[in-house]
Amino acid sequence: MGWAWLILLLATYPWLLGADLASDTLASSSLVFFISGTCLIAPCRRLKRWQAVLFAACLGFLFEARRPIPDGTLALCLVAIAIFLSSNRPLMRNTPGMLRVAAIVNVGACLIWFVASSYASPAAATDLAWHLSLQLLLAGIVGTIGLLPIALTQNAVMDRLNVPPAPDTP
Amino acid sequence: MDQNRQGARASYVALSVFVALWILAPSAVRRFNREAFVEFQAPALHLLGKSRDLATFWEKKSRSVEEMAAAGRDLARVNAALEIQINKYEDIRRENVRLREITHYNVPAEYMSVVARVATRDSSSWWQRIVIRKGRKDGIRPGAPVVFGNTVVGRVTAVHLTTSEVDLVTSPGFRCTAYLEGDEQNNIVLVNGVASNSLGTAKARVSVIPRDYSLLAGGQPTRVFTTGMGGVFPSRLILGYIDGGTYATQVGNFKESLLVPSRDLYNLQEVSVLVPLHQNPGEALIQGEDFQ
Repeated sequence: MGWAWLILLLATYPWLLGADLASDTLASSSLVFFISGTCLIAPCRRLKRWQAVLFAACLGFLFEARRPIPDGTLALCLVAIAIFLSSNRPLMRNTPGMLRVAAIVNVGACLIWFVASSYASPAAATDLAWHLSLQLLLAGIVGTIGLLPIALTQNAVMDRLNVPPAPDTP
Repeated sequence: MDQNRQGARASYVALSVFVALWILAPSAVRRFNREAFVEFQAPALHLLGKSRDLATFWEKKSRSVEEMAAAGRDLARVNAALEIQINKYEDIRRENVRLREITHYNVPAEYMSVVARVATRDSSSWWQRIVIRKGRKDGIRPGAPVVFGNTVVGRVTAVHLTTSEVDLVTSPGFRCTAYLEGDEQNNIVLVNGVASNSLGTAKARVSVIPRDYSLLAGGQPTRVFTTGMGGVFPSRLILGYIDGGTYATQVGNFKESLLVPSRDLYNLQEVSVLVPLHQNPGEALIQGEDFQ
């Protein structure tokens, strides 16, 4: 089904909104509850490559839309990650593999937006290592814990859309 | 397997071409794209805000009638006292306008106040902002000051159809001139947000403080006020308090200090946007495409 990626994006959106709500709660600590990388894992296992690419791009643009990040930075990086993941599906063959990939992808994507934001920011900052470490730690934990419920929702939607189960090759 | 590798390679090549096109594309394309994704999310943000309001409504509805009657009575008394004050200030305002006209002094900008509910808050090291549930449709323009009572909350940075983004006082993009309380010479200092480094309270920096300035005695918090210069913020609004003492800078004959906002900016439910009635020249610059 050609529009499966769009329907899947709409089904994933409540999770992104939930993450925004959590960021709202964490606002006084200057931490962002980042899950965009995690949301990419299940679709990359089952969708066709072009569908995964479109899904990843929209996921990135949704995060960027309300934040001062250089346009397209996160979205295009997520697209590159989606191409890599959909070309190396054996990496996500089982649950431990998926969890490992989710943590790495989420932390990597988090690092990308952090660096991109620092580039766009009008003010220089010193001693950011502590804050960056906290942000990456949070992204890693959220990426690992959040994967199961998010993937469960996404797999249920893909089952309803008759998307074939995860093959080893695209 | 080869087909898979070939497909992946082709995808990477296509992505590289797209990245090049994206960089070369006119900024209008990128702005349109951003705007489209913002508008896609706007209904969800409104829904979120309204469900919060509904929760507050039910919480208030559960209070006793006696409690509400007492609150209403207190409010009526406060309103009566405020009405007298408004009349007094109206007289002063007319007198002020008359004197300004006589002396050909610059007439301060007039503002239209738009009350807006806060939809969501978002902060990181690089930004501290809130999203409010009023936008272009309600007359809000980029650069408009956002206040709560007589306290500065921040400034509108981006306006969409039904929502707007507000950079808080502590956000690195925020800049403003100010006066310090107790400074009889009215020296102008500069307030700008700083990138947040810790889990503590976000703060702004107050710079260009004259060396001979000393903080208020008796441990009283020193307030920082807007100057009203530049036409963005009205004068005498509170930006916050000087945090701790002042410290000397490595260059120049000035001191610096940190500013703590006078309110917890992350707990605000409602703010007022002061939209200038007449567009000032600075707004044209703010509306430039690079402003974010």
